[in-house]
Amino acid sequence: MTEPVTLEMVAGAVEGVGGAERVRANRIRVRTTSDNVREAIQRVNRVLPCDRLISISTVDTADAIELHYHLIGQHRTIVTVTVELPRDKPEIQTVSDLLPPAGLYERQIHDLFGVVFRGHPGLTQLVLNDDWPPDEHPLRKDWKPDPRTFYGGVRQQEVG
Amino acid sequence: MTGPSPTLSRRLLNWARGKSPWVTIFNSGSCNACDIEILACLMPRFDVERFGILARGSPRHADILIVTGAVTRQQAPRLRRVWEQIPEPKYVIAMGACGAGGGVFQGLYHMEGSVERVVPVDVFVAGCPPRPDEIINAVVTCLGLMAEDAAHGGRAWRMGTAPVPGAEAST
Repeated sequence: MTEPVTLEMVAGAVEGVGGAERVRANRIRVRTTSDNVREAIQRVNRVLPCDRLISISTVDTADAIELHYHLIGQHRTIVTVTVELPRDKPEIQTVSDLLPPAGLYERQIHDLFGVVFRGHPGLTQLVLNDDWPPDEHPLRKDWKPDPRTFYGGVRQQEVG
Repeated sequence: MTGPSPTLSRRLLNWARGKSPWVTIFNSGSCNACDIEILACLMPRFDVERFGILARGSPRHADILIVTGAVTRQQAPRLRRVWEQIPEPKYVIAMGACGAGGGVFQGLYHMEGSVERVVPVDVFVAGCPPRPDEIINAVVTCLGLMAEDAAHGGRAWRMGTAPVPGAEAST
């Protein structure tokens, strides 16, 4: 058991790229910008060290798309790196080279929210079905199924 | 019995089919609870093999297709293809609330919905998940339909596309 990570340690580690706040007893959130996200994750990863990625969660808040990178290490404190992206052009640098498991999460987020991860080695469809139209992202808050669009499955005239 | 009397081989076939309905199980995107109940059916406690009901891996060997769960868009063409491979006469049982109308998955972006949107269903089983007794009951109901269809020379009389001979006797 290593010593627990304190808010001061996180704030010191991400000095200059974002601000840290304690949201719960063992959760610390680091707010940063899309330009600094790689630097913040690298510092949290190497300095603290939070060497495991739990998940990347995504929230569509109707004003912006938030990405939360949840990282954890031996110290059992979850450090969340949060970044907000504009809804009309959500683009961010990939972290799949720093944290290899992030590659799969990024493909899923690309499918469901349309976030483009620059530098991702293979940003292809992962979870949606094969016939899904490529420009629709079903977990966005403003998405409604269009009755004229074919989303895959079986066409009713084929069933007969 | 209407129409020309069936040949001996046809009558023998119908008799044998009713004595041993072979089922194939297709998971079209369920939460696996229905599959576990089907497995419970096959295990010694309920032991459907005493009725001659046998689970087959291949749809080409089966008489009855048991579909578990709501149909996802990815699975829908596959379900259709599996159903097309079953030789006639074939029967479809849709299991659970999901098979009937999508259940808790109704209206999601990746859901086709009811099994009936993809293949014609003969028996719906209620429950989430249905108990093994209800699954056995559904298969036995299918056997009743099978006998009636054999007497009417096909399933067209139930679909409302053919004139119904002796409707009051069959219902």
